[in-house]
Amino acid sequence: MLVSCSADNTTIKIKGSDTEVNLAVQLAESFHSTNPGLFVSISGGGSGLGIASLMNGTADLANSSRSINDLELKLFHQRGINLDSFIFAQDAIAFVVSSSLTIDSITPAELAAILKGSLKNWSSLTGKDLPVNIYGRQSNSGTHDFVKKKLGIDFSPHAKEMNGNAQILEALKSDNSGIGYVGAGYVIHGGSKGIKVLTVYETKNSKAVSPLDAAMIAAGKYYFQRPLFQYYKTGSFEKVKPILDFEKSTSGQKIIRDAGYYPVN
Amino acid sequence: MPSVSWNFISKLPTEGMTKGGILPAITGTVLLTFITTIFAVPFGIACAIYLNEYARPSVLTNIIRASIRNLSGIPSIIYGLFGLALFVQALRLGTSVLSAGLTLGLLSLPYIITTTEEALKRIPTVMREATLALGATQFETIRDVVLPKALPGILTGVILTLSRAAGETAPILFTGVAFYINGLATSFNQEFMALPYHLYMLSTQHQSIGQVRPLAYGTAVVLIILVFIMNCIAFYIRFKQRTQD
Amino acid sequence: MDIKKRESLDWFFKQAFKATGLLTICMLGGIFLMLLYNSIAFAMDIKPVDFFTGYQWNPGNANGKYSILPLLVSTGLVAAGSMIIAVPLGIFTAAFLSEFAPPKLQAVLKPVIEMLAAIPSVAIGFLGIVLVGPGIAKLFGIQNGLNALNGSILLAVMALPTIITISEDAINAVPKSYREASLALGADKWTTLFKVTIPAAYPGLIAAVMLGLGRALGETMTVLMATGNAAAMPRGFLDSIRTITATVAIEMGEVPYRTTHYFALFAIAAVLFLITLSINLLGEYFANRLRKFQA
Repeated sequence: MLVSCSADNTTIKIKGSDTEVNLAVQLAESFHSTNPGLFVSISGGGSGLGIASLMNGTADLANSSRSINDLELKLFHQRGINLDSFIFAQDAIAFVVSSSLTIDSITPAELAAILKGSLKNWSSLTGKDLPVNIYGRQSNSGTHDFVKKKLGIDFSPHAKEMNGNAQILEALKSDNSGIGYVGAGYVIHGGSKGIKVLTVYETKNSKAVSPLDAAMIAAGKYYFQRPLFQYYKTGSFEKVKPILDFEKSTSGQKIIRDAGYYPVN
Repeated sequence: MPSVSWNFISKLPTEGMTKGGILPAITGTVLLTFITTIFAVPFGIACAIYLNEYARPSVLTNIIRASIRNLSGIPSIIYGLFGLALFVQALRLGTSVLSAGLTLGLLSLPYIITTTEEALKRIPTVMREATLALGATQFETIRDVVLPKALPGILTGVILTLSRAAGETAPILFTGVAFYINGLATSFNQEFMALPYHLYMLSTQHQSIGQVRPLAYGTAVVLIILVFIMNCIAFYIRFKQRTQD
Repeated sequence: MDIKKRESLDWFFKQAFKATGLLTICMLGGIFLMLLYNSIAFAMDIKPVDFFTGYQWNPGNANGKYSILPLLVSTGLVAAGSMIIAVPLGIFTAAFLSEFAPPKLQAVLKPVIEMLAAIPSVAIGFLGIVLVGPGIAKLFGIQNGLNALNGSILLAVMALPTIITISEDAINAVPKSYREASLALGADKWTTLFKVTIPAAYPGLIAAVMLGLGRALGETMTVLMATGNAAAMPRGFLDSIRTITATVAIEMGEVPYRTTHYFALFAIAAVLFLITLSINLLGEYFANRLRKFQA
């Protein structure tokens, strides 16, 4: 019985990025109606979790909102595992504040100063004497990692580490001096009452771009945009193939678009 | 309680778990508790029988008793780590409902032993002596006289312990629970959904927490009702036994 | 059935029952060895000095910081806070139950307290998110109520049944003659309770507090959901904190097996194991003194 238990070919285990989990669940729901014999179990927890689970053999498909890093790649090599990846959508990170703050757009440099904790007050940006409250993600989140790398900073130790995108939005709705970052898909679906999305411009002369602007994302013009990856072991391609095929199908692409992401064409 | 309806407890989740029911979480918890039961109950009762009926005061008996006391004080998250190291990794059961159920079984074992032993202690020694005097072996005495008489007490302890196990989350975090599975769990080697984890996920991990708040309330209500029903059954058995005595 | 068969059956079951007894020793030994083995593996990578000093828990990358201190202080803070709330409340409830409450009220309250102990920890954590957290935010005029105070309040609720049940046993165990002597000397009910009964029940009450504390220190889901999980050194009860249990729960899923970070999580779990073990042993010691007192 124990031996038969270790070989489970009827369930595809997908783990990883919280950004992608909602999308993955919706894909799995529709997938089930076309492939009733094949189960898909999905867990979130962050991109690092997905990649680690893939390495540990507790996942078949790792959702990741960042590309795999050198340290992880080294560990896969040590274990003699070959990897393949698949980009199934584009995501844009939205920086969100309370709608009562008098600020509409921001530069990456200003964001870096705020998020690393050197700019502790909103007065220089908005003229209002309010303390900055940072709502971020846990260190295992791909979003956290992406923002950190893109800005080249370490986050302030007083940044609150929230468990998910939605918790950040919830907190920002009731915090008139908070700032947080979430996937653009969530702003569209989580409701925008009491909050606003900042547009980002790189230099004084360049145009400020909104993460909700599909055309600009498609052109790759938004500063904080990234591809969403799915990693799998080369050896288990046959097992995960049905779900990858479904993601590429017309109905799969429609689900991706409806969920607030930008399909890769 | 508008969120708890028949549809809520009998339908699969839909639209990224923002609508629909929690049936897979309910069946997952039931399956999980079933595995916990078939593992922990026989072992727990056997150990309690050994301690109360066979063991004489000795160093070994003292060590066993001390182990049981200490096991019941170990934080549940450490059982989770142990389950991960033993069942998921060493025994290669993977993240599955079997690994998680066995982990919860380990966690429940000390409680089942303690409550069973208390139930056995309440059986008067005279009853055992009478049977032994008639020529029955010790095992026959236990099987035919002690256990039937102690059954209500044992059952009370077992049901109370299982109600705790059904509500536990920390030990199943790394051993097999999943956010979502697109169907009902059918085998022991699948990952599974569970009510307590579903509540945790809906209230902290889901992307649209505000939107799924009613579902979280509903899940909390179903979970608490389930645990309370189990408790009430245990209390009823205990009450009936006391009025009989 | 002939007697030989019956006797060998008897022998077989005796050995089987004994084996399950030995299984419990193996379990405790297994848990201990697992923690020890992985902690030693961790000590090979990170100097124990850095583990117990230092101020940062920031694991994962090549030059990760592995200091248990912020987590330990967080764990201690939230548990101490819960005891400040639960100990007086628990002991007074126990005293009320055993000394003042009419039998009918007792018959209702006792099952209610037992039911309280059965509520799953996620449900209590959920309460912290939807009720206690917003309440704290409003009361103190802060933006977010997910902090140590929230955790303490919830852990107090969870430790209360343990504290009440054991305290009540301890107070009941005080001989009736003590109270009668005090009342006969003209002391009123309250003076008798505070000056005679509670001091006499002291060892049992300490046992109650220890076992309640053990429960609070080892609780995972409630603190994970309600305390905000910031791994910085806490400065007060209104700061977000991250306990040892919550750290293991958050990070264990994300680590590749057999890396420094993986071993580190076992190492902090080992520290928690030793703390809860000694607290429980201490509680056990006082409970035994109570038993002698009863005899």
